[in-house]
Amino acid sequence: MAQYAEVIEITAPGEVQAGSRVDITVKVKNAFSSAIGVMVGGALEFGVSPWPGISFPEPSTNVNGGAMYSFAGYFTMPDKKVTIHAYSYYYGADGSWHFDDEMTRIVNVVAVPASQFGSIEITSYQRR
Amino acid sequence: MGAVYIPSQYGLLLLPLANVQVKAGDSLRITCRYSHLGKAESQTLYAAIGNSGWAGFDEVLHASKTISVPEDTSWNYREDYVDINITTALSAGVYDLYAKIGGTIPKVISPTLLDVVEMLAQTPDSQFGEISITGYTKV
Repeated sequence: MAQYAEVIEITAPGEVQAGSRVDITVKVKNAFSSAIGVMVGGALEFGVSPWPGISFPEPSTNVNGGAMYSFAGYFTMPDKKVTIHAYSYYYGADGSWHFDDEMTRIVNVVAVPASQFGSIEITSYQRR
Repeated sequence: MGAVYIPSQYGLLLLPLANVQVKAGDSLRITCRYSHLGKAESQTLYAAIGNSGWAGFDEVLHASKTISVPEDTSWNYREDYVDINITTALSAGVYDLYAKIGGTIPKVISPTLLDVVEMLAQTPDSQFGEISITGYTKV
């Protein structure tokens, strides 16, 4: 249960081709009564250690009390199903960021079909 | 001169094709465009010169090579070629062309291009027919 910075939603595609860029948003709500600093982070779980991170170009901002903010992030899709772990932090009166909440979401990798040929045509024939 | 029918928004169009003249010792490069989807694989690109008839394609000369097709996550057009060495197995006349991908059971076969290869008659060996004196002057 989040104390101040509650992760409300992770928006991401359900399945993506391996190697392509995956754009996501993480929506965080300030559950406190007044404005606080909120930060997000993320990691990818797909069988490698340590878990690779998710890039958030602007990972922190001040959010008014009761308001929500969507943070944009991205990563490169690995060649297998990945679980996105999104984390929220709040900026405390002690001048430090404190971990607050976590949410996960799965992105499947698009399977490449078996090789098939659709057509063939001769486009040129030249004496050499 | 050969021709091929191609589909268009107006129905089938007859596209005339230039023929290419060859002689023994030449090489004929046949360039093909094919579409592919899916995992990478190696396949045989095969082309043949011969005569198309009611019983199929009677091949006289052919050539093949292995092509490495990369992974395509959506339909992609690719191009490759195969060179057929022209030999005296081809007698003077006009011939047809076709290409395919795959081995005994082809994955895809191209439309046949009719009368597009013309084998020239062989140049005869050097020989002299006659000689005559055409002038005589003091030098």
